[in-house]
Amino acid sequence: MFKFIKQYAETISGINIYPMISLLIFLIFFIVLLVLVKKMKKEKITELSNIPFDNEELSNTTLAKTNSTL
Amino acid sequence: MQVEKFYYDNRIVKNFAYATIIWGGVGMLVGLWAALQLVFPQLNITQYGSFGRLRPLHTNAVIFAFVGNGIFMGVYYSLQRLCKARMYSDKLSYIHFWGWQLIIVAAAITLPLGLTQGAEYAELIWPIDVAITIIWVVFGWNMFGTIIKRRQRHLYVAIWFYIATFVTVAVLHIVRSGQLPYSWLQSYSWYSGVQDALVQWWYGHNAVAFFLTTPYLGLMYYFLPKAANRPVYSYKLSIIHFWSLIFLYIWAGPHHLLYTALPNWAQSLGIVFSVMLLFPSWGGMINGLLTLRGAWDRVRDDVILKFMVVAVTAYGMATFEGPMLSLKSVSSISHYTDWIVAHVHVGALGWNGMLTFGVLYWLLPKIFNTQLYSKKLASNHFWLATLGIIFYAIPMYWAGIQQSLMWKEFTDAGQLKYSFLETVTYMKPFYAMRALGGVLYLSGVFIMFYNIYKTVKQGKLVANEEAEAAPLAIITEKHKGEHWHRVIERKPIQLMILSLIVILIGGIIEMVPTFMIKSNVPTISSVKPYTPLELQGRDIYVREGCYVCHSQMIRPFRSETERYGEYSKAGEFIYDKPFQWGSKRTGPDLAREGTGNLRKTDGWHFRHFREPSSMSEGSIMPTYPFLIEQKLDTSNTAAKINAMRKLGVPYEKGYEKFANKDLMTQANSIRINLKIEGIQVPADREVIALIAYMQRLGKDITNNNTATFNK
Repeated sequence: MFKFIKQYAETISGINIYPMISLLIFLIFFIVLLVLVKKMKKEKITELSNIPFDNEELSNTTLAKTNSTL
Repeated sequence: MQVEKFYYDNRIVKNFAYATIIWGGVGMLVGLWAALQLVFPQLNITQYGSFGRLRPLHTNAVIFAFVGNGIFMGVYYSLQRLCKARMYSDKLSYIHFWGWQLIIVAAAITLPLGLTQGAEYAELIWPIDVAITIIWVVFGWNMFGTIIKRRQRHLYVAIWFYIATFVTVAVLHIVRSGQLPYSWLQSYSWYSGVQDALVQWWYGHNAVAFFLTTPYLGLMYYFLPKAANRPVYSYKLSIIHFWSLIFLYIWAGPHHLLYTALPNWAQSLGIVFSVMLLFPSWGGMINGLLTLRGAWDRVRDDVILKFMVVAVTAYGMATFEGPMLSLKSVSSISHYTDWIVAHVHVGALGWNGMLTFGVLYWLLPKIFNTQLYSKKLASNHFWLATLGIIFYAIPMYWAGIQQSLMWKEFTDAGQLKYSFLETVTYMKPFYAMRALGGVLYLSGVFIMFYNIYKTVKQGKLVANEEAEAAPLAIITEKHKGEHWHRVIERKPIQLMILSLIVILIGGIIEMVPTFMIKSNVPTISSVKPYTPLELQGRDIYVREGCYVCHSQMIRPFRSETERYGEYSKAGEFIYDKPFQWGSKRTGPDLAREGTGNLRKTDGWHFRHFREPSSMSEGSIMPTYPFLIEQKLDTSNTAAKINAMRKLGVPYEKGYEKFANKDLMTQANSIRINLKIEGIQVPADREVIALIAYMQRLGKDITNNNTATFNK
C-alpha cells in the first residue's frame, strides 16, 4: 500500500543504509556509555549525588541508607 | 583553605518566579478562552481574538512565558547553590529577565495582530527571533560565567541538563528561524514544502524535548531530592539518562509526519528512535520516583512532594504514550485528532505545570524566609489541578478516538458514513468537558496566586543570601587513572561541546539527505508558482492561522482519498513557504479544496467566510467579515515576489513590475463571478485574494492529466 511513499526514498541512492548506520552509532555510543558508567567508583557516586546538600542538611541515617542502597 | 563569604542572588529568582506565575495565569486563561471558542464560536470576538490567532498565543505563552520563566527561576536558584557561587553578573541577570519579558510582551502584541511565520511554536516574526537569540546568548553567558567561577569542582547532573538545554535550543532556534525578510516585520521561510516540514518537526519535537523536558529534568534532579531531603536514587542512572536522552531525542521529530509526503526512510528513523526514547525517559522517571524510596509516607503529608510525584508520573505517562503514538498503526488513528491535544496537555499540565507549582511552593517561602501561608490551600490547589488534568485529558482521548473512527467509517455500500461536519458537531460536548477541566486547573492556579501573595506578605525577601565555601584549588595535573566522566564534569565547555556533538549527529543524519532531496524529490511539471493574488491570499491564510485547524496533507488511506481526493505528493509543495500541512483537523483537510467535487463556487467561499454556519450548519469556524471590509495591501507584492525568487521560486526576472497588474486582472474575474452569484464586492478586498488561494488548492496536479512526474 505504501509503495508510493517509498518511491521517493528509493530515489536517494544507498538510503537503506541510513537506518542501520544510525542504529549502530547509537548502540556503540550506548554500550561505551554503559561500560564507562559501570566502572565508576561507589564513593565518588555518593559524593556526587550529595552535591545539592550541604552535608549538615542530611541526617546521618539518610546518608547511611543512601550508601547501603547504592 | 580560607573559606570565602558570598551571597546568592535571590532577587532574580523572585522576579522569574513572579513572571512564571503571572504568565502562567495569562497563558492558561487564553487557553481556556480558546477552548470555549470551540464550543461557542461567537466568542471569536474581532479579528484580533479569533481562534486562529489566539491558539498560537496560548501555546507560545505557555511554552515560552510560563515554562520559560519557570526554567529560569529554577536554574537561577539551583545553579548558584550547585556552583556555590553568585550568578556571574547581576547586570546580565537583569538584562536576561527584562529582555525575556519584553519578548513575551512583543509576542502577545504581534500574534493577535496576525503577524506570524505560520510554523507551530515558531510563529514569532523575525525581529523577535533576533531578540530571542540575543537574550538566549545573555542567559548562556551568565550561566557559563557562573559555572566557571564556581566553588564546587564537580558539575551536578542538573547542570548538564541546563547546558544541553542551552546549546540545543540555540541550534534549534537558529536553524528553524532561517528566513528571508521582505519587510521590517515579515519574512518567508528559507525552506519549502517537505524540507520545511522536516525542519519544522525536528524543531517542534525538540522544542518539547529541550525546552519542556531537559531543563525540567534538571529541575527534577535538584528540587525533588531537596524537597524529599535525600539524594537522587541512582546517580549512575542519571548519567545514562542524560546522555542517551539527548542522543535519542533529536532523531524523533519525523514521527509527527507519518504517512505524509515525507520520505519513508526519514519516517522509519523517527519511529525507531521514538520507540527507543521510552527507555531513557522511563529511566529518568524511575530515578525520580525511587528517590522517594522509604519516604513515601511523607508524600501523604507534604503537598510539595505530592505535586512533584504527580509531575514525574505525568512525565512517565506522556513519555510512554509518545513512543506508542509514533507507531505507524497508532499514528494512523491518532494523527490530526484531539488525542494529540490530550497527550500534550498531560505533559504540559501534568509534568511542567505540577513541577513548577511544587518548585514555587518550595522555593518562595525559602527566599522570603518564612513558611508557606497555607498548606491547606496548597492542598486544595493540588486536588483541583489533578482533577483538572483528568477532566481535561479523558474527554480529549475519547473525542480523539471517536473522531478518528468516524472519519474512517464506511457504510455497507462503500461510502463514507459521516460528513466532516457531523464529526465536528459530535465533538462539542467533549470540548465543553475539556473546558471544564481547564476551569478546574486554572482555579487552582488562582488559589496559588492568593496563597503566594499571603506568603510573600508575611515574609521578607532575603535578596542576598549569605553563604560560605572554599574556593577551588587550581589543579595543575590530572590524577592518574581518573575517571573520564569526572574529568568532563569539571569542564563545562567540554561538556557543552560533547553535548553539541551528540545532538548534532541525529540532526545531521536527518537533515542532510532532506536537503539533498531537492534534486531527488520527484518534481511535478504542472506544479507552478502561485499567482500574485494567490500568494497574497496564502499569506492571509497564514496570518489568520488557518493551519491551526485545517491540514493540507492527505494521507494515503482510502478514508482520506475518498473524502479529500488524491493523496498528497512531495512535489506538490515545492513553492510552499511556509509549508501548511497542519497537525490538527478541527476542520476538514484543504489540500484539494479547489478541485473535483470539493470545489465550491467563489460565492460559496465568500458567504462561508462571512458566516460559516450559513453554508455549513453547526460549523464552529470563526466568522471573517473583516476580510470583506479590509483592502488587500498590494504595496508589498513586488517585495514578496522578489523574496520568493531569491528563495528559488521561478518567477521571471522583472515580473515584480507587472505582478500587481496580473493580481488585479485575477481579482476582477473573481469579482465578476461573485457578481453573477448576486454578491457585490470591490475587487480590492482581502477576501478576494483568499478565495483565489482556496480555488488554487490542489489544482496543479489533479486538473492536469498530462502532468509528468519526474522521478
